[in-house]
Amino acid sequence: MIVHINHISQSKKGAKKSQLGELASLVTGSLVDLVENGQLDAKVAPSLRIHLDWIQYKTNFRDPVIVRRTTDAQGKSLSLAEVAIDLRQCQPATLLQQLQEAAQQVNPNASTDNGRHYLADYKPFRDCVIWDFNRVFWRHLGDWEAASGKGFEEALPSGSSDANRPDAVKESVVEFWELLKDLETKNQLPAEIPILEIGVGAGTRAAAFIDLFQEYDAEKGTTYYDRLQFILGDYSPDTLARACASLGRHKSHIIPAPLDALNPFKTLSQYRFKVLYVHLTNVYDNLPFDDLIRRDGKLYLAEVRPYISAASVDQLQADFGIGRAELPAATAKLLDGGPHAVFPGEKGVAFWRALWGCFKLEERLRALDDREESHVPPGLTWAHLQDLLDEAPEDVRFHISRGAAESFANTLPLLHPRGYLQVQDIFVEDMDEYRKGFKGPGKLDGSLVVWVNGALLRAVGARAGYDVHFRPFAYRPGSKTTVMYTTQKP
Amino acid sequence: MKLPILPTTVIGSYSMPEWLERAKNDYLARKLSKRDLDDMHDAVRKAAIKDQESAGIDIVTDGELQRYNMIDYFTERIPGVQVDLGSKRFYYDFYDTEVRNKLGTGSLGLNDEVKFLKKYTDHPTKISVSGPHTLVKRIRNSFYKDEAEFAVDLGKALNRELKEMARNGVTELQIDEPYYSGFPEDLPWAVKAINAATEGVDAHVTLHICYGNRYGKPSFEGSYKYLFPTILDAKVHALSLEFARRGEEDIQLFKEFKAPFTLGLGVIDVKTQDIESPALVADRIRRALEVVPAERLVINPDCGCVHLPRDVAFAKLTAMVEGTRMVRSELGK
Repeated sequence: MIVHINHISQSKKGAKKSQLGELASLVTGSLVDLVENGQLDAKVAPSLRIHLDWIQYKTNFRDPVIVRRTTDAQGKSLSLAEVAIDLRQCQPATLLQQLQEAAQQVNPNASTDNGRHYLADYKPFRDCVIWDFNRVFWRHLGDWEAASGKGFEEALPSGSSDANRPDAVKESVVEFWELLKDLETKNQLPAEIPILEIGVGAGTRAAAFIDLFQEYDAEKGTTYYDRLQFILGDYSPDTLARACASLGRHKSHIIPAPLDALNPFKTLSQYRFKVLYVHLTNVYDNLPFDDLIRRDGKLYLAEVRPYISAASVDQLQADFGIGRAELPAATAKLLDGGPHAVFPGEKGVAFWRALWGCFKLEERLRALDDREESHVPPGLTWAHLQDLLDEAPEDVRFHISRGAAESFANTLPLLHPRGYLQVQDIFVEDMDEYRKGFKGPGKLDGSLVVWVNGALLRAVGARAGYDVHFRPFAYRPGSKTTVMYTTQKP
Repeated sequence: MKLPILPTTVIGSYSMPEWLERAKNDYLARKLSKRDLDDMHDAVRKAAIKDQESAGIDIVTDGELQRYNMIDYFTERIPGVQVDLGSKRFYYDFYDTEVRNKLGTGSLGLNDEVKFLKKYTDHPTKISVSGPHTLVKRIRNSFYKDEAEFAVDLGKALNRELKEMARNGVTELQIDEPYYSGFPEDLPWAVKAINAATEGVDAHVTLHICYGNRYGKPSFEGSYKYLFPTILDAKVHALSLEFARRGEEDIQLFKEFKAPFTLGLGVIDVKTQDIESPALVADRIRRALEVVPAERLVINPDCGCVHLPRDVAFAKLTAMVEGTRMVRSELGK
């Protein structure tokens, strides 16, 4: 049996000792007891892996203790199993009981049902219904915000978006102005200066950028502002309208572009090799991904099965009169038509919030067939993933940030030869980092977040002729944000 | 074989298969022998020649598929350039290179390409080499007093090779200088280096100047205005320029400066996988004919096809040939 401690981080609490060490001891001690008492099958125990995690998100998709079984490519059970324990959620008083239950469930013949209501069968993360919930959230953001009493940015773990930090925006403005100045010096400044922001939110960052750019341009005695074309890219027409309204004073410089973040080039192909600066904040961390796992040299794909616990089903029945039998139809209505398709007014939003609140995921690991390539993001080949695996630790679970990779690959062709792409987001910069902490998915208030595999984007960039760099976001102490940016490969 | 009016050609490179990219990387990682890689190279070069012939291209190359990229193929061969062979893992990256002494006078071995072409095709043939300005920008100079002096010596090194290839019967020689567009201020000495390369070369010589095609994207932007009038001093027969992607406005420069060169007209955008129609190609040729007479026009893509999938490259070349034939027939040729 192998115990993985996946939380490699020094406590910032100084002398105040956390409970983590005690909990970890309790886990290992209890496991030995379970084996000795015959509660953990001696045939299963040697190939069992125990993962001690610490999930930083207050709400998440996991129970305190979960079991991950493995299957072959056809779904037949294999002997390898994992028990994953979230030390943040665990309580010493209940841990032993939870481990006993887990010990029963690792047996391939055991039932894991526990009266759960399943919303779908096992699927890779990329095809999971979480993305339907995510889409409903962005389509009905106003309803959610009204019900929660706070804007989505306030609901972020940091309490605000790093997109709008004035000092960060100012530095971006100066950096961009210097590029334009250099181009002008070399007589290479284009007649039009296109900038693209993908995922515009309320338009706050765009407004701050253009205001500061106009001011800086005037201060420097240049006239670049006159040539500026600021393309606002977002898939939601409502969001675009809201952002455009907030930018009325720069109206003649604004180009709204309804686009799919996965393929900006499809909408903006007329800007091929013309855009001088592309910016995204917290877009990549909200795009589909998969999880790959390497154990004993074999590769597995994580598959998840969404469920509502028996207790939560009862609670939904009590609060909304929607019982187990009606739950599938109500969920489908919500995901197709939004909260008001289930109940009119606030009750529909309340049901949505309650359902999301109790939404959880079971996991299993399916061994990958050698010839299977469905998890390889568009634009990449198996050889690229092999490069990543070559630089990864032997035992690792990591994200294939397929949405981010696809978006990135389909944005690069827009860049002017001197143009650059800048992304503020949460990144895993090298594969070894995946062994040091939990990188998502985390459940947010209404949506989800997952750290972006920066090493993967580095591979995508290299193939397209770009070096990809990361620097810390220095404008808010303690920020988890990293700034990723591109430079042209020599 | 006598060339028709509006002869068609390629710039040099042909579609690089992904499997060959992996093989080149494997060779660098010592997972594949040189003999096996050479076998693969020979096979794809023959296939590239066949594809060009099938598409109807008049002047063919070997597709340059044995080259890592447009720099390393030459820096590895030029006597006196130190190459750090451990400095890259991906074949398409550039080696770290340095010149610490005056360049030597040995052969670059490019004549093998002429022999290969003559062995496998009856068509008129073409060999492209990277120009001295481009090479200067990629080799760290620790010997020459400045880039201009270094470039002239590189031009001389290329000159010996170009002469030998001409003697061995290559129809067309081309010198590629994509870095001009990024360093227009270098043009006066860069042209002197070209002239050092072409002096006494008994073949039709084309100077190809584009805006870069590394990884299938441009490295620079701007207008060809920077070339004139300095480029008129270049001792070459033809200029091959990129117009399909950038628009044809700069063709007027040929008229404005009474440029005596043949024009290699870029009619295929190699930075997109969209396939041009023959009608579009024909339109582009007709517009160029308003400025340059047919006797001084050669029809080619904007740049090499190396980054295009093979089926796309083949379809584009086929469209180019069909479009050219449409115009030839209008000219009664």
